[in-house]
Amino acid sequence: MIGILLSKLKMFIRNPLIFIIFTVMSIVFALVMGGSNLEGNIQIPAYAADESAKESTVGEAFNEIEGFAFNWVDEKETVEEEISNGRAEVGTILREDDFQLIVGVESPNAGTVEQMIQRAYTKKQRQEQILEAARTSGTMEADAVRTELEKAMTKPIFSMETSYFGSSDDFEFDSTFHTLFGFALFFVIYTIGYNVLPILTDKKDGLWDRMILSPVKKWEMYVANLIYSFFEGYLQVLIIFLIFRYLVGVDFNGRFAETLLLLVPYVFAIVALSILITGLVKNVQQFNALLPIISVSMAMIGGAFWPIEIVESEILLMLSKINPLTYGMEILNGAALYGYALEELMYPVSILLLMGVVFMGIGIHLMERRHV
Amino acid sequence: MIELVDLTKKFKQNEAVKNLNMFIEKGEIVGLLGPNGAGKSTAISMMSSLVEPTGGDVRFNNESILKKPAPLRKIVGMVPQEIALYDDLTAEENMQFFGRIYRLTGSALKRKTDEVLDQIGLSERRKQVVSKFSGGMKRRLNIGVAMLHDPELLIMDEPAVGIDPQSRNYILETVKRLNEERQMTVLYTSHYMEEVEFLCDRIYIMDQGNLIASGTKEEIKQILSAEKTISIKTHRLNERFIALLQETPTINRVIAGEKEVTITVPKEINMFPKLIHLAEEAELELSSVDIKNPTLEDVFLHLTGRALRD
Repeated sequence: MIGILLSKLKMFIRNPLIFIIFTVMSIVFALVMGGSNLEGNIQIPAYAADESAKESTVGEAFNEIEGFAFNWVDEKETVEEEISNGRAEVGTILREDDFQLIVGVESPNAGTVEQMIQRAYTKKQRQEQILEAARTSGTMEADAVRTELEKAMTKPIFSMETSYFGSSDDFEFDSTFHTLFGFALFFVIYTIGYNVLPILTDKKDGLWDRMILSPVKKWEMYVANLIYSFFEGYLQVLIIFLIFRYLVGVDFNGRFAETLLLLVPYVFAIVALSILITGLVKNVQQFNALLPIISVSMAMIGGAFWPIEIVESEILLMLSKINPLTYGMEILNGAALYGYALEELMYPVSILLLMGVVFMGIGIHLMERRHV
Repeated sequence: MIELVDLTKKFKQNEAVKNLNMFIEKGEIVGLLGPNGAGKSTAISMMSSLVEPTGGDVRFNNESILKKPAPLRKIVGMVPQEIALYDDLTAEENMQFFGRIYRLTGSALKRKTDEVLDQIGLSERRKQVVSKFSGGMKRRLNIGVAMLHDPELLIMDEPAVGIDPQSRNYILETVKRLNEERQMTVLYTSHYMEEVEFLCDRIYIMDQGNLIASGTKEEIKQILSAEKTISIKTHRLNERFIALLQETPTINRVIAGEKEVTITVPKEINMFPKLIHLAEEAELELSSVDIKNPTLEDVFLHLTGRALRD
């Protein structure tokens, strides 16, 4: 068994092209598709035509807005230049009581920015009205009113929590995690598949027969091939995650080690699935035709390309229940995005392990029965 | 040493091997001859315990291997028809891989690797990856790998198919040398009768799953002892001449090529005057007329009505 593993490792070192291609593709796709989130905040050039606007609650409010960074510029022309050069989608010119929005590209971001600035001005006006009312009634000094107001803002009498409901289950979506997990789990199917395929070619080429006639046991031959396929598949996802963790700066919400650990059942299930596909086909051509069909279908209904939560078809949702990728995504999102404890992820882990055992059993049985 | 008793293999409706009976004695080279699809590969797969027969038995040293294949597997070296090597590994690495699975390690593995590479003439190319080898070199290495563990019985399934004449001769000489020097028993399958004629002491001929002849070369050729083969060459063969030959009652068989026609006739008949007469009638000029000794090809033709490579 060690001999088989060593020779496979040697062949991998000598010819790592497929591995490199799929690893690079996973990284590129995850970076490109999830890129918008990785770049950080959307930059908004802002020019204060009236300095008071910058120093008022409007300016303060800008610092608290998530997802957008307001860059103060000294010249009005700078805002226009940033937009005309395409460096910013939208910019703003602030005056004492109103503002001007300069839109370069019509996008949802422009509408959001407008709403946020509008809200900041409304807040400013409300505070001014309170101060004005206090001054008119003469009950308190303006400074005392302002102090009271600030205190009240930090310690409100009651707070309101907003949640969104569009379906029966709430779900959180993070495009960085989603594309990273989705593409890593999708492309690793190919890497593992093309590592299991040599069982079929070795059998056709008589290599398998040579080994059967040797003192090596048949189970050792299978185990060596499966261990190696598992190793290469796991290595690929590990490299991708390490690159994202340490080079791109995705922190996995502090659950990096757990994420790596929870990959194990998914990679195992994919190795088993590849065995099943190898058992079903008669030759390499059929395998090459079937693998992309299966992997792309799995990715589509398993939530690798888009969140499974947006799928409404009952049939597709039912099919997703027998798809290892669905559970792979569930595990990784559960660990990194939702912060579930390991015990809470035992259900998808068990399903993947069960799938692995069933697929492998059927696959090996088919291969042995048909002597492929 | 090994005996096949009424060995049968069915694949759904197709009966690939039908009641095959044969034996191989220690130290001999036995040929299994037959065209593509005759059932040779299926027969040797059953013989080497790789495929389970539908019926019959394979006996090794008088014991059935169907339930206990281990004793046979220990002494068998298999050269499959395909190039069963890892393309991305060097010749030496392939040797070491197959040596290791035969539990050879350390200095014993190194010694055997050197010895076999030397025997097959690939010592100089030991560090070269197999994908860069010529067809002949791959075939030689394919044989070498099967010899690493010093097998007593070497089963070779068309080991020289699709290679140049020099490489083929090298392989045939190597097999002969192994048999002579080490008394290695060899089962050699082929659809090239020249290879089998050169190498083998005894021959089995298969066609469509059936064993159609067996014996020593001389015994098999005796099948045609009552006939002789005449080869007639012309500058340009015409259909009229072939038709006349086919209509002649004393001619048993007519095989026509582009410029040559081969006929089989009873040994006692003098065909020369008749052939000259027929050529004149067909307005044909003969270049040569040769009487040939029967070959295995002729025997096969006689038994099946078609050429070995058809």
